[in-house]
Amino acid sequence: MHPLERLINLIALLLESRRPLTFDDIRRVMPAYQQSDAASAKRMFERDKDVLREVGIPIELAPTDAWDLEQGYRIVRDRYELPDVAFTEDEVWALFVAAHAPGEGGEAEQAFQKLSTTTETNVLAAMAERTAAPGVDASGPHLGAVADALARRRAVRFRYRPSQGKPGQREVDPYALVFRRGHWYLVGRDRGRGEARSFRLSRVLSAVKELGPAEPPPEGFDASAQLEAGPWGLGRPEARARIAFSPKVAWWAIASTQGAQILRTRRDGWVEVDVPASETDSFVSWVLSFGADARLSGPRAVKDQLVAKLEALAGDAGR
Amino acid sequence: MPGAEARAGARAADRLRRLLVVVPYVLRHPGTPIGELVERFGIREGELVEDLNLLFVSGLPPYGPGDLIDVQIEDGRVWIGMADYFSRPVRLTRSEALALYLKGQALLGSPGLEEAPALSTALRKLEEGLGDEVLSGLAGRVAVGGGGHVTQAVATARRAAERRERLSIEYFTAGREELTTRTIDPEHVFSALGNWYVVAWDHLADAERLFRADRIRSVRETGETFDPRGLLGAGRPLYTRSERDIPVRLALGPSARWVMEYYSVENVRNREDGRTEVTLPTKELPWVAKLVLRLGGEAEVLDPPELAAMVREAARATLERYRTPPA
Repeated sequence: MHPLERLINLIALLLESRRPLTFDDIRRVMPAYQQSDAASAKRMFERDKDVLREVGIPIELAPTDAWDLEQGYRIVRDRYELPDVAFTEDEVWALFVAAHAPGEGGEAEQAFQKLSTTTETNVLAAMAERTAAPGVDASGPHLGAVADALARRRAVRFRYRPSQGKPGQREVDPYALVFRRGHWYLVGRDRGRGEARSFRLSRVLSAVKELGPAEPPPEGFDASAQLEAGPWGLGRPEARARIAFSPKVAWWAIASTQGAQILRTRRDGWVEVDVPASETDSFVSWVLSFGADARLSGPRAVKDQLVAKLEALAGDAGR
Repeated sequence: MPGAEARAGARAADRLRRLLVVVPYVLRHPGTPIGELVERFGIREGELVEDLNLLFVSGLPPYGPGDLIDVQIEDGRVWIGMADYFSRPVRLTRSEALALYLKGQALLGSPGLEEAPALSTALRKLEEGLGDEVLSGLAGRVAVGGGGHVTQAVATARRAAERRERLSIEYFTAGREELTTRTIDPEHVFSALGNWYVVAWDHLADAERLFRADRIRSVRETGETFDPRGLLGAGRPLYTRSERDIPVRLALGPSARWVMEYYSVENVRNREDGRTEVTLPTKELPWVAKLVLRLGGEAEVLDPPELAAMVREAARATLERYRTPPA
């Protein structure tokens, strides 16, 4: 017998039964479990239960009679069935767009399939009639699992491919989920490194495994602060820098940098700007990307780093 | 072999999940064409028929003819009977519901989204369905950022793409640091790798161009309309190959590896010294020179030699700013 057939029979039996059924009851009526070796039949049943739970079918244990002597399995219809949610055609469409970020399916799509089955909206017609809205970037298939662990305060383990360096295992106490510039990030304490890090969900390489209770975030942790990102890196900037931009690039540098403040426009058209900064490579690299159209005047430490890199790049120690 | 068994279990779970949405749908829509099921649920026809054939031999004890699920496939249409216990789909799992809810929240943050009002009411209904015990765990633990300053350009371009209206834009070309005014016919607006892009026919170049929305300094409606040329939208490669491409060869250090994720590179070779050699096809060398400058020594130019010269020149010109006192 095909496993799928056995699973369907098991669901049908437990949904239709008026009372919880013990494994022996189930075995008596389902030929699929009637092999002579009872232990192997029980193992097969245990695996089937796991599959049902994975699919989201609420199979539960309950006493078979009022005296509480025996426990049996049941599926309570009210907990199995999707309740009626009356979505309008526009709402179904909006959910479709949300579920179908380009290049992936996954749990959001499954959720959409279920929800749209009970609406009268002709989803296919709606799909054909409208052009798809721009989606956000693919988050990978793990958003739901990470959110679930976060909501229930569980630590997680997964394989991760960092933007720099080799892929490896990470154990994380989740603090927050952050959607920043088109990507979902898990922010949390990286147990291996002993500090808070940000993990892009599209770089998670394995299924997300729950480990046990998670440590809470530090006092005063603010998820929205994690939204801030800029030339200085992630989170709230710690320093300020003074940079003059040439007339060609000034508007763009200012428009694309959150928190930039114009100090003055010089007579030659260069604009002096006060920008949020940090003493990191990524900030130096941002200033370098403007080439000769930017001149940083401070802080000193950043300027020294910048000049050292330029001298190396000029290849002649800046003759 | 436990590995093979686990895989078989995973496959059974996927098929079961699928069947438990297809059956309620057919029960509600008797005589659904197979083609509609294939399209709506993204299943291959062969798999669907195979699953329906299994359903046909399933049912309730004692599994006599009157106890089995009734499946009929005739003239390419499907009927299912004797399966009232499967008339409703299974509830959403917590992670399914959360994934859809959070994706909806992220999409709500997109600028100029015409579906926004419907999406927010749909999400509110989903919230009611999810219940407090799921969502309260996320209170204060989720933050969704909007599109920042690109909002105006993106919103205008989306509207224009929908109504096929020609726009005039001031566009900043990075690398050459030029601001040009162009007349464009925008066909698609999409987001990828954290940036918004406008796919348009550019009348200045008389060619298809991809414009990054944050580099559009200003947008003006021209009042003219255009006939779309059928340009590709979301999901397209961000770089279009051409025969005139210059194959730039770079050796990237560990902290410059993000270049491989961000741009389309080929002929990747990991060297023993920890650097990675890649070929980055480009139409414009000045842009790559800026990129190498920005990588600040973490990228070495292997080819062409004139690019290496451009980088040295750009570094010297920049150093010059620090040698002469500011005006």
